Amino acid sequence: MIQIQMTKNPSFSLISTNKIIQMNDVWTSYDSKNFALEGINMSIDRGTNYAIVGQSGSGKSTLLKLMNGMMIPSKGTIKIDYVTPNMNNKKFKKMMHSIGYIPQSLGLVRNSTVLENILIGSLPRLNKIQSLFKKFPEPEIQEAKKIISQVGLSGKEDRKAYMLSGGEKRRVAIARALMQKPTILLADEIVSELDHVTAREIMDLIADAQKLMNLTAIMVHHDMQLALEYANRVAVIKEGQKILEIGVEGETIVDFQTGDMSTEEIMEMYADDTQK
Amino acid sequence: MTPKNNIIIGIIIALLVVASYNVDANPVDFVEGLPNLGVVLEEMVSVEPKYIPTALWAMFETIQMAFIGTTVGVAIALPLSMFAARNLNSKYVYAPIRALLAAIRTFPSILWAILFVIMVGLGPFAGVLAIIMYTIGFVAKLQYEAIETIDSDPMDAVSSIGVSKWQLIRYVVIPESASHLLSQMLYMFDYNVRQTSILGLVGAGGIGFYIINYIKFFEYGKAAIFMVVVLVAVLVIDWVSVKIRDKYIIKSQHGMEVTAKSK
Repeated sequence: MIQIQMTKNPSFSLISTNKIIQMNDVWTSYDSKNFALEGINMSIDRGTNYAIVGQSGSGKSTLLKLMNGMMIPSKGTIKIDYVTPNMNNKKFKKMMHSIGYIPQSLGLVRNSTVLENILIGSLPRLNKIQSLFKKFPEPEIQEAKKIISQVGLSGKEDRKAYMLSGGEKRRVAIARALMQKPTILLADEIVSELDHVTAREIMDLIADAQKLMNLTAIMVHHDMQLALEYANRVAVIKEGQKILEIGVEGETIVDFQTGDMSTEEIMEMYADDTQK
Repeated sequence: MTPKNNIIIGIIIALLVVASYNVDANPVDFVEGLPNLGVVLEEMVSVEPKYIPTALWAMFETIQMAFIGTTVGVAIALPLSMFAARNLNSKYVYAPIRALLAAIRTFPSILWAILFVIMVGLGPFAGVLAIIMYTIGFVAKLQYEAIETIDSDPMDAVSSIGVSKWQLIRYVVIPESASHLLSQMLYMFDYNVRQTSILGLVGAGGIGFYIINYIKFFEYGKAAIFMVVVLVAVLVIDWVSVKIRDKYIIKSQHGMEVTAKSK
């Protein structure tokens, strides 16, 4: 368990001008009356391991879908590397190649093998003939094999996705995202259904890849403890609003939104969320 | 039983009697006709064995016709089904394709066969063309319905990489719907063998051509022998397709469970 010390005057800098994701007063709704997100402001530095924590239905998955352009906000602006995410925007469509997205369901192709699933990550780099005839260039296959051993799936290349265990499926999904050579990795509750040991193995895997490739990882969790352990920034979402954003460095936690909240209130919220 | 139900049953029986009278469907004729079966059986036994190779060859021709028809039909149906799936296309693409497929399905294969006999003349080729048309109409429909029911999660996850629609089809839609397609191909082949067996009735080749000609010359025994060959062939094909289905389709649909049990 991490010991929490609150300080209002951070001695270290978690703020830089190198913003990869910026959200300004973002509202979204699935219908005209109910809002999934209400006025979210968020800015994420390049290379951050960012965690979004909240209960089910709090709007945290919606946040990820906004970042990869699968949803567009009903109000407000989002910029990913200064480009507005939208699938119809050509410039963003190119950027999507380097945004790895792992949905909660993982989205693996059940009847394809581990290797085939992972090679999907390299599709944007293939030409039409190569992709039609499944002719992956040798360097891509070598790259895929390297990633397979990196995520600990060596020897299981030819296994069909439906035959894998929960932990192995997650490794494949991570490998597919890494195959994209991503700059941003979005993962939606990737470890929520796993036991503690496997969950930590998966989180370590992402943390290693993040450091190695200088990724910006944005991960949605419902477990605050896990978020504090791995992330260097944590945002808490409750009923579509960001109620807390903290920076973590070692054992110190810095609050960035203390303007109208006391330390006690933050601790209470934290306690509330970890109980869930 | 309420009085209302009694009235409905009464009406149905009355309609049955009236309709039977109109089409001259008399159960007495059926019973009286039964001994005629015995005559056919008698004639069957007296058929010379030299006709059996002819029957087998005719059946082989029928199976080949069905095979060509199914393969070519599926090859054409598959791309059409991609255009007809609502989850892959806009309304302006899928609506006309669906209308075309519905029009193709309106004709039973025997009518297609008549049309092609007029076009390309008597013989197996007309039958093959008829089977192709029929297969296109049905497989494309079954396949676009299968595509529409595939899991949207892999589609979303892979399209979020920014791949093209054709890559999405090649790497997600086809693998995810492959077991449905295999199942439909097996069913269609099975069905087409039976269909091709009767296409000969309109001169479109295959074993049906022999059957109709023997019947025309009152050689019921020979006709019956040829029909028994059809029966046996269909049973064998059915048995083989059940085996293929068990091996490839059931397993991929229930993945984990079957693998676990087989250990």
